[in-house]
Amino acid sequence: MAAVLEVEGVTGGYGRIPVLHGVSLQLDAGERIGLFGPNGHGKTTLLRTISGLLRPWQGDIRFEGQSIASRRPNRIVDLGIVHVMQGSTMFRDMSVAENLRLGAYSARARPDAAANLERVLQIFPRLRERSAQHARTLSGGERQMLAIGVGLMAAPRLLMLDEPTLGLAPRLKDELAEAVGAIAATGIPLLLVEQDVQFLLDLTSRLLMIEHGAVIAEFTAEAALDQAHIAEMYFGKRAN
Amino acid sequence: MDILSSVLLSGVVLGSLYALMATGLALVWTTLGIFNFAHGIFIALGAYVAWQFGTEEGFGLGATIGIVAAVSLLAALGCLIERTLVRPFLGHRNLVLAVVITTLAALIFLENSALLVWGPRFKQLPPLVDGTLAIGGLDIAAHEVLIVLLSPALLLALWAFLRLTYMGAALRAVSQNQDAALMVGIPVPVLFALAFGISAALAAIAGVLLGSIRFITPAMGNEPLVKALIVAIFGGLGSISGTIGGAYVIGMLEAVCVYFIGLYWTPAALFLCMILVLLVRPQGLFGRVD
Amino acid sequence: MRDLLREELPLALPVLLLLALVPFVATESYIRHLFIIAMVYAIVASNWDLSLGYGGIFNFAHLSFFGVGAYTSAILSKTLEITPWLSVPASAFTAMAAAALVCLPVLRLQGIYIILVTFAFAQLVLQLILSQSDITGGSRGMVLLPPLEIGDINFARDGKFGYYFVALGLLAVSTLTMRWLVRSAFGRGVIAMRDDPDYAAARGLSVARQRLMTMILSAAFTGVAGGFYATYLRVASTKVFEFGILSLVLSMLLVGGINTVYGPIVAAFALTFLTEFMVDLGPWRFLIIAALMVLVLLVYPGGLWSIFTSLAPKRKSRRR
Repeated sequence: MAAVLEVEGVTGGYGRIPVLHGVSLQLDAGERIGLFGPNGHGKTTLLRTISGLLRPWQGDIRFEGQSIASRRPNRIVDLGIVHVMQGSTMFRDMSVAENLRLGAYSARARPDAAANLERVLQIFPRLRERSAQHARTLSGGERQMLAIGVGLMAAPRLLMLDEPTLGLAPRLKDELAEAVGAIAATGIPLLLVEQDVQFLLDLTSRLLMIEHGAVIAEFTAEAALDQAHIAEMYFGKRAN
Repeated sequence: MDILSSVLLSGVVLGSLYALMATGLALVWTTLGIFNFAHGIFIALGAYVAWQFGTEEGFGLGATIGIVAAVSLLAALGCLIERTLVRPFLGHRNLVLAVVITTLAALIFLENSALLVWGPRFKQLPPLVDGTLAIGGLDIAAHEVLIVLLSPALLLALWAFLRLTYMGAALRAVSQNQDAALMVGIPVPVLFALAFGISAALAAIAGVLLGSIRFITPAMGNEPLVKALIVAIFGGLGSISGTIGGAYVIGMLEAVCVYFIGLYWTPAALFLCMILVLLVRPQGLFGRVD
Repeated sequence: MRDLLREELPLALPVLLLLALVPFVATESYIRHLFIIAMVYAIVASNWDLSLGYGGIFNFAHLSFFGVGAYTSAILSKTLEITPWLSVPASAFTAMAAAALVCLPVLRLQGIYIILVTFAFAQLVLQLILSQSDITGGSRGMVLLPPLEIGDINFARDGKFGYYFVALGLLAVSTLTMRWLVRSAFGRGVIAMRDDPDYAAARGLSVARQRLMTMILSAAFTGVAGGFYATYLRVASTKVFEFGILSLVLSMLLVGGINTVYGPIVAAFALTFLTEFMVDLGPWRFLIIAALMVLVLLVYPGGLWSIFTSLAPKRKSRRR
């Protein structure tokens, strides 16, 4: 199968502070990968580097075979890589409808904006109810739905979600998991960052564990690894 | 009654000019989070360019071409200043301070350039429209009527641009959440330049309008800039509509003060008002608490 | 204090001695004049650093403290006929009072609003001076102020020899005070407040009190410098409130290096001489200076002083 995303020995970080110490991963067409690992070890930094908010210091990032390592963020979005950031309120003083409309800013997404909007509102019926409200008046869960909805409006060919269930109540978490499942079912390749391993096991086919800015372990769903085993590894490592 | 009307009229004329200037300041502030001290020189340069292209002493191409030249050249200059004096410092530890100094440097540079190019002799633009209009028993200079009508029309156009077009929405998006704007594919640096360009173009128009009421000098923009600054504080820097409201309040207040307490004490009165407003509402008169 | 003297005196003392030798070598009063002006700017810029740099308060009223000092000394010495030896130091108190006044609205504000309000305050002071022409001379200013004298020696007629040493003394005392302040417990509190207001507040530091103290302390020597400047030039005028001087002193601060005390002093000398040597160029010199200002900021974002500190061997991290 052809690779959608290839990350090859990427190092990087903020300013002069290194966070990523040579990350490599490959995501194939239609594949869904989950990233997990302790906080502050580079998961978010990796997503920010792929989406062009940070420039990799070394290594290469390729999307469908072409290098995107030094492109501007808007060019990367134009290619179809969409990054839904952690806990983002999006555009707080704009209505939900306007937020969604802006999601389709890139030239590639704009022609399909109407169809995509209908799809987003089907996945998140609550956004339809809140359509005229300002984003800043939304609850935490609704904000998360909006952020993902805006991401979907950009017609992603690779969707990266950063901790979509962070800080949400269990009931909302289930609701979001269902929605992300529905998105996954459409065949969009996914790169999903989560703390909740069960959430990842339900939605993805492969789990990568990131620690100290590198991929240190890989699990596949086929290997039928149970959650307890991963948790043991995960927390066992952390305890040392 | 007659005196009251002329005080009111003068307040509306001042308010219209302040609104053009302060809106540009607020646009740059909300989009980039910086304050442009070179804004005042845009006013003077707009007037000079219109004079150079439009009048008989200059190239004599007529007022229309003069205005078009002023607006387009100043918009380009605004973009250039953003590129050279603001962008290199984005991400700088002392961004606000660094940009205060670079825009002050731009002010010094452009003011003295204007002096070198156009010399120390005062110039003046002919009024865009001649004659007077009789409105409600008052004889009003047609030029003042033009100012009062043109300024709100332009600001309405700006409002429509910001509300109704994709690019306008993108501009507001950048001011609200820069990272999220990048993540939906908005080319943020382009919009930074756009904000500066629009801001400078509005200042150029203010300059053209002011250039036929007052003499054109390199420093002609300094005093209106200080007023626009008060307006921006009054209106609460964050919102364009609040800034426009603030402009008319200040214009009116200034006209009333000039009439009742005289020219000397008016600025002091305005500053005191501003400080009082800030003591009670630190977010500005029309500003909103986040 | 002892630490300060041990660590910085070996460097500062030779410079001070060198400066003290200048009037003996440079017998031309014009050169001495340039040094005096540079030293006045050095005091103003380095004191501004206390509020703007260390305090993180975007204070744009600093030059108005200088102006208040100038007019205080002028009114005391000319109108009330008090000896300039007293009127110049007295300027510290009015400048400090002005600083306290501008603090009233500033205490509750943040960031850009502080720039705008302090800027407005400076304009307010200017308007007050202009409108009270009976006392201040209005737009004409006050001229022929009484000079400093010791016995029969009139400082206005000794080839600027006396004034040179008064200025140098002021600069030395001011610099010593500033360095001592920023290294004291108070100074560390001010820096902590700037870098992490929440943490500092949690440690029991009051934002309002710190800001007030910082502003008042930064005004003291600035006011004295204003009084001295007026007495030296024998003129108090509203020129000191102009955009040009504001941006000149601000550029000394930023070009020299914020949070350094020494940087602005070095830049004050450099820029004063640079502007003076280009005086024949007319408006061109301003173009050159403006371009230089931006260039320095681009190449050395930490200011010129950062070149010295990066060359000097790394000291213990106790220094801040």
